[in-house]
Amino acid sequence: MSQGQDRAEARRAKIEAMRADNRRTAARSKNVKISLTVIGVFALVVAAFFAIARFTSGGDTANVAAGESQLVRADSHRVQTAGDGKVTLVEFLDFECEACRAAFPVVEELRKQYAGKVTFVVRYFPIASHFNAERSARAVEAAAKQGKFEAMYQRMYETQAQWGEKQVPADGLFRKSAQDLGLDMAAWDKAYNDPATLARIKKDLADGQALGVQGTPTFFLNGKKFEPRTSDDFKAAIDAALAG
Amino acid sequence: MQHSPAEATAEPTARDLPGTADSASGPFPRLLHWLLVAGGLIGLGAAFTLAVEKIALLKDPTYVPSCSINPVLSCGSVMNTAQAEVLGFPNPLLGIAAFAVVTAVGAALVAGARLHRWFWLGLQAGVTLGAVFVHWLIFQSLYRIGALCPYCMLVWAVTIPIFWYITLHNLTQRHLPVPAGARRAITVMAGYHAVALTVWFLGVITLIGVRFWSYWSTLV
Repeated sequence: MSQGQDRAEARRAKIEAMRADNRRTAARSKNVKISLTVIGVFALVVAAFFAIARFTSGGDTANVAAGESQLVRADSHRVQTAGDGKVTLVEFLDFECEACRAAFPVVEELRKQYAGKVTFVVRYFPIASHFNAERSARAVEAAAKQGKFEAMYQRMYETQAQWGEKQVPADGLFRKSAQDLGLDMAAWDKAYNDPATLARIKKDLADGQALGVQGTPTFFLNGKKFEPRTSDDFKAAIDAALAG
Repeated sequence: MQHSPAEATAEPTARDLPGTADSASGPFPRLLHWLLVAGGLIGLGAAFTLAVEKIALLKDPTYVPSCSINPVLSCGSVMNTAQAEVLGFPNPLLGIAAFAVVTAVGAALVAGARLHRWFWLGLQAGVTLGAVFVHWLIFQSLYRIGALCPYCMLVWAVTIPIFWYITLHNLTQRHLPVPAGARRAITVMAGYHAVALTVWFLGVITLIGVRFWSYWSTLV
C-alpha cells in the first residue's frame, strides 16, 4: 500500500515538474513574443518619423521661406552687405580646401574694393574627404554664435597650413584659435559639440548640393554660377552686374 | 511499518523539491547567473577602456579618444566634464571595481554557489546605487553635456538589466520584504520580465532619439 502511495507520489511529482516546465516554456515564449512586438512597433514609429522628416525637408527646399532663397538663407553669413542689395556674391567654401585658401586673399581684396556695393555671403561646403573640414566649419559656426564669424573664418585660412591635409583631428588647434580671439570658451565648446551646429552646416551643404555645387570654391553672382580664373574675371563680372 | 522511516524522509523531500526548484529557479532559471557574468565582463571592459583613455587624455590633452566619432558620439567631450569625476576621481575606477565583483559573483552562481540572504541584500544595495548613478549619468549626458560616449552607453546597457534581474530575484525570493498586497504585482512583473526590460531600453533610446533628433535627421 505504501509502495503504491510512493508511486502515486512520484507520478504526481513528475507531472508537477512537467507542468512547471511547460509553464516556464510558455512564459519564455510569451516574453519573447511581446518584447519583439514592442520592438517592432517602436521600429515602425521611428521609421515613420524619419520618413516624415525626409518628406518635409524635401518640401522645405522647394518652398523657401519669404525673404530668402536656396542661395542665401535667412541664417547665411553675410560678411558684408550692400545698401541697395543689387549685387550678391555667394561663395560655397571648405576651410580645408587649398583652392579656397588661394581664393581667400582675392575675395578679401574684392570686399575692400566693392565695400557697400556688393553683398558677400559665405556658405559652408565641407568636402567629405577632407578630414577636418567639418570640424573647421563647426569651429567657425561656434565662433559665429558669439559674433566672431569673420575673425574665425580668416583665422582658418591663416592657419590652414598647420592643420590642413592631415588625417588627425584638429580640435585642439581650433580651440586655441577660438581662445586667441577671446571667445567665451565654455559657450564655444558647447556650440562646437552641439549637434545643432553640425545640422546648421549640413543644411548649407544640402543647399549647395541641390544647387549643383560639386567642388569648392564655387561662386554664384546674382544667382548664377560662374567660374572666375583670375581676380580680373571677378571684377569684370561684378562690374557688369553693377552696371546692368 | 518497515517502510515508514524511509517514507517519512522521502515524503517531505518529494514535496519540497519541485516547490523549491520552481521558486529558486523562478521564471528565469539560469538567466541571472549568466547575465551577471556577461554583463560584468562587458561593463568591466568598458570601464577599463574608459580609464585607459582617460589616462591617455591626461598625458596628452590634445589626444582624441577612440570613441570620439562625431559631435554626438564623442567620448572626449564627455570625459572632460565634472560629471565624469563625481567623487573627485574618474568614474571608470568605480566601474572597474564594481563590475569585477559582479563578474565574480556571477561566476560563483554559475558554479552552483548558494548565497545567504545578507549577501543578496548587499548585492541589491550595490546594484541599486549603480542604477541610480547610471540614470543620473544618462540625464547629465543627454541634457547637460549634450553628447554621448559609446563606452559609457555600454555601461548603461548592462547596469539596467543587472539591476532589474537582481531586484526581481530578491523580490520573488522574498529576500526583500514584500507586503502581501504587492505579491500579485510582483508575480506579474516577474512573468513579463523581458517585456519590462525592453520597454525600459526603448524609453532610454527614445530620449536619445528625441534629444539628438536634429542630428539624426541629417543622416538620412
